[in-house]
Amino acid sequence: MTEIAVNVEKGDSASVKEFVRKALSQNLQAEEILNNGLIKGMDSIGKKFKNNEIFIPEVLIATRAMKAGMDMVRPHLTESKNMYKGKIVMGTVKGDLHDIGKKIVSMILERVGYEIIDLGIDVPREKFIGIVEKENPDVVGMSALLTTTMSNMREIVEALERANLRNNLKIIIGGAPITQSYADEIRADGYASDAASAVTLVKSLLKHKN
Amino acid sequence: MSYKVKILSEDKTIAAMENELLADKIQKAGINLSAYCSKRGLCGKCFVEIVDGKLPPLKGREEFLLKHKKLSKNYRLACMYKIKGDLSIEIPEESIMQEMFILKTGIESPIEFDPPVKKYHLQLKKPEISFPYSIMESFEFYFRDKNLIIPLNLLKTLQDIIERSSFNITAVVYNDNEILNVEQDNTLNKNYGIAIDLGTTTVVVELVDLNTGESIDIQTAANSQMKYGSDVVSRISFAFSDPKNLDELRNSILKTLNQMIKQILDKNYIDSSYVYEIAVAGNTSMNHFLLGMPVKSLALAPFNPVFTRLPELPERYFGFKMNKYGKVYIAPNIKSFVGGDVSAGLIASDLANRKGNYLFIDLGTNGEIVLKTGKKLVVTSTAAGPAFEGMNISCGTLAVPGAIYKAEYKNKLDFFTIGDKSATGICGTGLIDLIAIFLDKGKISPKGTIKNKRKKIAVTDNIHITQKDIREMQLAIAAIKTGIRMILKEYHLKKEELDGIFIAGAFGNYLNIKNSMRIGLLPQIDDERIIFIGNSSLAGVKALLLSKPAREKIDSLIKKIQYLSMATNPLFQEYFIEALEFKEINH
Repeated sequence: MTEIAVNVEKGDSASVKEFVRKALSQNLQAEEILNNGLIKGMDSIGKKFKNNEIFIPEVLIATRAMKAGMDMVRPHLTESKNMYKGKIVMGTVKGDLHDIGKKIVSMILERVGYEIIDLGIDVPREKFIGIVEKENPDVVGMSALLTTTMSNMREIVEALERANLRNNLKIIIGGAPITQSYADEIRADGYASDAASAVTLVKSLLKHKN
Repeated sequence: MSYKVKILSEDKTIAAMENELLADKIQKAGINLSAYCSKRGLCGKCFVEIVDGKLPPLKGREEFLLKHKKLSKNYRLACMYKIKGDLSIEIPEESIMQEMFILKTGIESPIEFDPPVKKYHLQLKKPEISFPYSIMESFEFYFRDKNLIIPLNLLKTLQDIIERSSFNITAVVYNDNEILNVEQDNTLNKNYGIAIDLGTTTVVVELVDLNTGESIDIQTAANSQMKYGSDVVSRISFAFSDPKNLDELRNSILKTLNQMIKQILDKNYIDSSYVYEIAVAGNTSMNHFLLGMPVKSLALAPFNPVFTRLPELPERYFGFKMNKYGKVYIAPNIKSFVGGDVSAGLIASDLANRKGNYLFIDLGTNGEIVLKTGKKLVVTSTAAGPAFEGMNISCGTLAVPGAIYKAEYKNKLDFFTIGDKSATGICGTGLIDLIAIFLDKGKISPKGTIKNKRKKIAVTDNIHITQKDIREMQLAIAAIKTGIRMILKEYHLKKEELDGIFIAGAFGNYLNIKNSMRIGLLPQIDDERIIFIGNSSLAGVKALLLSKPAREKIDSLIKKIQYLSMATNPLFQEYFIEALEFKEINH
């Protein structure tokens, strides 16, 4: 199990696959492999990224290794115990073309069990509203890297309120110029400074559901 | 009938047909004869000595000019001389235009000295009762131009000026067809312009003699808009958060510029009324702030500016400390955030006329990359962030006295500070050297991880590099690397096919080429093909101040230059992530 976590951290897809195969052949529970192996490795990656110990490329390689392991574990997960934890819509707001940070957050959330609908970059308000109406997600995550585009987040929150879509929906925001006080000011439910914090944040916001 | 023209001073003989203009023939022979007044017999700068051959009677202003220049009777203006027989001439050195070296490094980039502001010393004809012609006509007589413009407010004052100076005046002419001002007596030697490099962080003002193109003095100051945000994006968001803020930004920079102009003029005992033109090169955002243009469109994708090129503007739009009839020229913006500073850089590097494939890279907060290949010019911009300028770095500093700008490792770590002052921080070039050294010593992994437990490397007792500093530098370097890779890929070029890379920006000659290649910032090519051109924005805007042809050239270049958008290119992300590692990427 430790080997799985360590190799996810290393980003060594081949070794991850090998150890997952071994674990499955030893009749270990798929849930256990997932939680104590793959997710543990990913959590550790998130923490190291937060502390600047590793950088974007290592995170991406680790998520790739994680995915390789996941694909093998998934068929063994029982339907009832499936790891589905909730649905999250992610997007970078209109006027802003920054992608990487939002993508890392999306990938890590996806790996730890959330369904992600990534709307991409330069996403207009109407698109956020439309997708929330259609998909009824648990969380909307918005990203902005420019002080000039962050004000669009407020407009989206207000539009969701006006459209009466806000009641069962959690809104989280992030990006270089964003702060907790800005999140409070525009009535978002939470702010996270990095991918690891975003996972913790989403977990706590959706506690009542799981 | 063909005649022979011997140019004794150049040891050349050329053939000429009847009635051909001597000035044209001299220029066609490849001699850089001065043509300040566009061969209209006005300026007296193309006198040649007729050693042997026909000496026609003095025409127009020739007699007046001969007398003033104290030349002997066998001198004639080449631009007034029609060839009617064999000739032997001497061209005095004063009549040959000296080549201008715009770049301090001495790299050739030919600039035709032909400033829009020109002065002519004239003895106006006195009107008589038998021929009471108007003041306008007396000017038209000299300039032989029916479309001559004399602004009404100036025209109203002319009678007094002319009478006070007994018809002995100096006309200040703009673009050959507009009288900007009329000064009493001969003020030919008082003719100044100012070139301004309007940077986001730093502003440089250069005082230039418009008669000779010589630099008189240079002054540098911090951009006072820093207090509204250190980068353009934060200033843009400040500007549109309240309509009053744009004015505040504008007034702030105008105040800084006027203080600098006043200082540089006072220091050199020059009256501001003899400054007739100011030329400014700034990035797109700075140009918008300077004019008080709305910046909303620059705040959001697709980041289109309000204007690219503007006609020369009257001084009154700015309130600059200069002659009240003076003009202000703004180097044109190209596309999006690629602004007048890059236009100026294109002029300074003469990029469009180089033979082969060249890159021009301006390493600043906003990194601009221009590729010249075949007949094409392509530009892209990439947000490197302020790390190269020492900002967002724990012990970072601008390139100011006390900044560590260079480091070496010979048995031990040696570093050098600007002005030999005790070290106060590290500027961009110092960071590059230090990172290269720490990579070699294995203190940093190629992925950028500091290997010790403290996640900090000491440079001096109180200056260090932190893990976060390395991350900031990785992002800045990756932005430039990605830009270079994408623009080369788009045009199917390999780095070996590059004939040269011009490096512009504040880094100047401090940038260590080997170390820049070591950390992957620059592609690994022959050292000799890396060409530092220093502050090309200032050099280029000085050229634009001094040369109408340079202004025409940049106008035509910005029409044909193509723009490569990086943000919307699906490859960008993949390339960017690969570029984060401290190593060269394959081009």
